[in-house]
Amino acid sequence: MKDKEIDDVLKKAERVPHGLHAETLQRIAESIRPSLRPVRPLPPPRVMTGGLVLICALVALAGASRAGFYGIEKMDLLERALIFPALFSLAWVAGIGFVHEMVPGSRRRVTTGALLVSVTFLLVGIFALLFRDYQTTHFFSAGIACLLTGLLFAFPAAVLAWLLLRRGFAVNSIFAGLAAGTLAGFAGLGMLELHCQNFQAAHVLVWHIAVVPLSGAAGALIVRIRGFFG
Amino acid sequence: MAHYQQGDFTAAAALIDRLSPQLHRFFAVQSVSRADADDLLQETWLRIHKVRHTYRPGEPVLPWFYAIARFVRVDHYRRSMRTSARHQQMEDMSTIAAPVSLESGRTDSLAALLAPLSEGEREVVEMLKVEGMSLEEVARATSCTVGSVKQKAHRAYAKLREIICSTRVGKEKAEDRREG
Repeated sequence: MKDKEIDDVLKKAERVPHGLHAETLQRIAESIRPSLRPVRPLPPPRVMTGGLVLICALVALAGASRAGFYGIEKMDLLERALIFPALFSLAWVAGIGFVHEMVPGSRRRVTTGALLVSVTFLLVGIFALLFRDYQTTHFFSAGIACLLTGLLFAFPAAVLAWLLLRRGFAVNSIFAGLAAGTLAGFAGLGMLELHCQNFQAAHVLVWHIAVVPLSGAAGALIVRIRGFFG
Repeated sequence: MAHYQQGDFTAAAALIDRLSPQLHRFFAVQSVSRADADDLLQETWLRIHKVRHTYRPGEPVLPWFYAIARFVRVDHYRRSMRTSARHQQMEDMSTIAAPVSLESGRTDSLAALLAPLSEGEREVVEMLKVEGMSLEEVARATSCTVGSVKQKAHRAYAKLREIICSTRVGKEKAEDRREG
């Protein structure tokens, strides 16, 4: 049996009346009439994405200005030229993902889950190329401190990002939470790169990068718990 | 849609008249009762009305409507699951086919024809083949990639082919028996 024949069967089945009454349509139209007033459409996606990335950058800068810019001061020119543009680009990608989650019917090149995984692996790849100090001193104590600091700064970034896109509508709130968390994770990671002067590869690859996926997972979890009790 | 966003009631009513049969069929195909489909349609329009500012002029309009209709359907399913206290994961919904089958005798209705497919396959076939939406539009409406839509459509067609062929063979055998 060819696809064309299946198409014909479907077309034939479609011709069966759907049984929708004119009164139902009338009732729907009348139900929206009282609240019908002009609305302002959402701004273009690039404007919203730009706003989100700006929030992340400001949160990271605010955090580092309070804690000290020791990390960026210790970096050489090549490291600065590679790390910060890479963080900016990946934050932009995460921002696009979040905007798409908040606008119904948006185009998706990759799913949000795949986006989080690929962003994490790209970060690992970039950082593995740049950080070549393979010593591990105070791995857990220093690492956990950095992870918590990163997550601490991801939180206000997530709240501000959510406020910026509050007029949007998430058709899948868990994915929206995941995307928001991933984006906010870049604020935390950016702050750590500006501030932390521990350039040991294991420390950066594990504890700094973990801020992004953990922040994403936390975003999804918060939305899930809120939805469960809501 | 742009006129509707500007508060034009005639445009809103025209949209409701034009798109409601499609959306109603979208719900009916998911094997819900007629009354449920009516309720879901009404709920969808209320939701559309509430978030009409999220439509960006110039973007394809159908995926936007269907994305919201899908949200309403999933939300309705979730609520009904909660009230019936069945702790089944939503993922199961996309893999378990509805119990209605062609053997029920409703071979002429679209809902009966698509009933053996999974939820995800059913909505893809409905949008792609019945409503005539493009792969890109279906991908936008279902929040997934074009590749994923193609895969679901392919699986759905394989299942439909099998079902239609077996139904035809069954009918032929029954006719032979009658003649014999």
